[in-house]
Amino acid sequence: MGTAKETRNLLATARARWEAAAGRTPRVLVGMSGGVDSSVTAALLAEAGFAVTGAYMKNWILDVPGMRCPWADDLADAKRVAVRLDLDFRVYDFQDAYKRAVVDYLVAEYKAGRTPNPDIMCNQDVKFGIFLDAALDDGFDFVATGHYARSTVWETANGLMAGAPAAEPTRLLKAADARKDQTFFLYRMQQRALARTLFPLGGLAKTDVRALAEDFGLANARKADSQGICFVGEAGIRDFLSLYVPPAPGAIVDEDTGDVVGYHDGAINFTIGQRKGLGIGGGARYYVCRKDMDTNTVYVRDGEPSAHRAEGLVLEDPAWLEGGAPTGGVCQVRTHHGEVLCDASLSVGEDALRIDFAHPHDAVAPGQSCVIYRGDECLGGGIVA
Amino acid sequence: MTSERDFIYLDHAAATPLDARVREAMAPYESELFFNPSSPYAPAVAVRRAYEQARADLAHAIGGKPAEVVITAGATESINLAFGSFAGHVVVLEIEHASVLACAAARDHTFVRVNKHGLVSPDDIAAAIRPDTELVSVGLANNEIGTVQPLRAISEVVRAERTRRLRDGITIPIVLHTDASQGAGQVNTDAATLGVDLMTLNAAKIYGPKQVGLLWAHRDVRLKPRVLGGGQERGLRSGTENVAGTVGFARALTLAVADRKREAERLAGLRDALQRELCAAFPQAVVSGHKKHRLPGSLHIAFPGIDAERIVFKLEDVGVLVGTGAACAANKDTRSHVLTAIGMPPELADGSLRLTLGHLSTEENTARAARLIIEAVRGEYERMAR
Repeated sequence: MGTAKETRNLLATARARWEAAAGRTPRVLVGMSGGVDSSVTAALLAEAGFAVTGAYMKNWILDVPGMRCPWADDLADAKRVAVRLDLDFRVYDFQDAYKRAVVDYLVAEYKAGRTPNPDIMCNQDVKFGIFLDAALDDGFDFVATGHYARSTVWETANGLMAGAPAAEPTRLLKAADARKDQTFFLYRMQQRALARTLFPLGGLAKTDVRALAEDFGLANARKADSQGICFVGEAGIRDFLSLYVPPAPGAIVDEDTGDVVGYHDGAINFTIGQRKGLGIGGGARYYVCRKDMDTNTVYVRDGEPSAHRAEGLVLEDPAWLEGGAPTGGVCQVRTHHGEVLCDASLSVGEDALRIDFAHPHDAVAPGQSCVIYRGDECLGGGIVA
Repeated sequence: MTSERDFIYLDHAAATPLDARVREAMAPYESELFFNPSSPYAPAVAVRRAYEQARADLAHAIGGKPAEVVITAGATESINLAFGSFAGHVVVLEIEHASVLACAAARDHTFVRVNKHGLVSPDDIAAAIRPDTELVSVGLANNEIGTVQPLRAISEVVRAERTRRLRDGITIPIVLHTDASQGAGQVNTDAATLGVDLMTLNAAKIYGPKQVGLLWAHRDVRLKPRVLGGGQERGLRSGTENVAGTVGFARALTLAVADRKREAERLAGLRDALQRELCAAFPQAVVSGHKKHRLPGSLHIAFPGIDAERIVFKLEDVGVLVGTGAACAANKDTRSHVLTAIGMPPELADGSLRLTLGHLSTEENTARAARLIIEAVRGEYERMAR
């Protein structure tokens, strides 16, 4: 793993090179959440001599009646760090776009019986979509975030700063800290976004980042960076969906016997593979194996977790970081953030991809993402059909 | 007290530390004297007596009668109790505290404008009063800019209307309420002197405990119960009495009234020095609130072009705690209604600090705060010029 010194050298060198190429200091807009990762990101870039402006993205948050400006604490935390670092700070209001890109997508997917991943959509459409566009419109050369990921932007941006078209695509690489690697959430970034995005923390371990936070006097930066579906907040996904989809009682049916074994308040609330919260007594080890959204029926099967395995996956809506599809063949995949990479083989079809696992893998709910790697590189991925 | 040692505290309008003498008065009722005042045995009866003595002390401090005082869980509840007792039209200032504005908005109401110093004209109150107006509510002192309203003159307006109605054989009542939470301990809060019929006070603003307040209502004013239950507080506000809190409140108010003149003079001296320093360093700074009719501990100052929230964060790093003009910085739509009402442009409102002095302020720490504020504001102007 790289050291803080190496990261500092990398940043200072890149900054000096780009400054020489462009004849001015590169301007970076850093997405700040108030958490320790994005705070250290801003501090490292400022220390390396970049012209840094902090930015808070005001995204859509579930309205809770009687609660005033629920994002106030996060915004204040982010701004407090920016002020401590003596950085300019801006607030970008993306509530409408966020609502469209993430919330509406989430509801539509659930209605269709799938289990979507809103964080991936948020990155694709909001952070590395409208936020990047706003940054470029406002005269910034790059955006930066506190994601644990590496990229080849430090080399590929040379031409960009000199005003020349990029000679080769920017590649996305796994973080040095394998346990923190966040490329799973980034696989739908477009190449144009990747070429304009800095991930300064990619070479560092979380412990390094915490130590740096101390060095920068940012020990008070909020400990936890936000995880999960931020806008749902404390309400939980069920309460959130209930605002958009009225409860619809239906049957839970044993897939093998055809018996009705229980009832539910809406098939939308169930995920393939789910075992908890089915409300079926009687000692059977039921898990959800299938849903029929048209008849609002949840099908379950009695069995051990090992019974619910898959040999492979069909993926739709592929996204490739370098733009075009890679060649088929040996690869590694993961189907959720933090999962150890699994050996697999990739077949690239016209509209769909096929992943064959080297060893049977837990079944994956439709709507989830499968992200494909080859060595250190994250190639892209698709959505489980 | 840690806040004394670690911080220079310039936000007394937001919260005040518990006075040691108040804490001492409360202590027995938080430990050995825990009895329910409604219980029949002797120790409980003693607690009941202490509670009623506290009520009497509170009444005495504002020149009222014990039976006219309802103990509540703070100013917001007192205001709700006052407004809930009247069904008709209400007249309030547009710069009132959120609880007054919310209570007014829930019924037929008129918001009365103030001038650029935050001062209301009694004539404008008179003009807003309708034949069906039952309640006029005017805060004694504004919590943001410190302007103190001419309550005596306003009470004459209300009294004249009451006289007119009686003369014309009209039985619709009209009363004057004041939320005096911000004034106690700095300006006169004698009910008769102010000429009010109802008064709200809050222990938390005068070095007493939080979540304790009172509504004083002249015996001729009929209040309507808000919290139903065991019939405590003459049935107006049921719930087992907060004995420790009320005893503390009584001690705090008694001290505030006794020390008022001396403390007001001391705070005015410190405030004026602070104002001089800041205005000398930044001639473009704008001081809000009425020059003369202003709380002695209050200084509202705006630095054009500055983002005041950045100053708050810079100052907290060097141990100075101040308030801003903006209640919720996250949302530009919630810029202070008080500053909007006095006609302050948004760019200026965003650059405003609310500095409120109090017990924790000394000549030394106020002078030090002035230096640190000047440094922080200067740093911001420099950053913006880069």
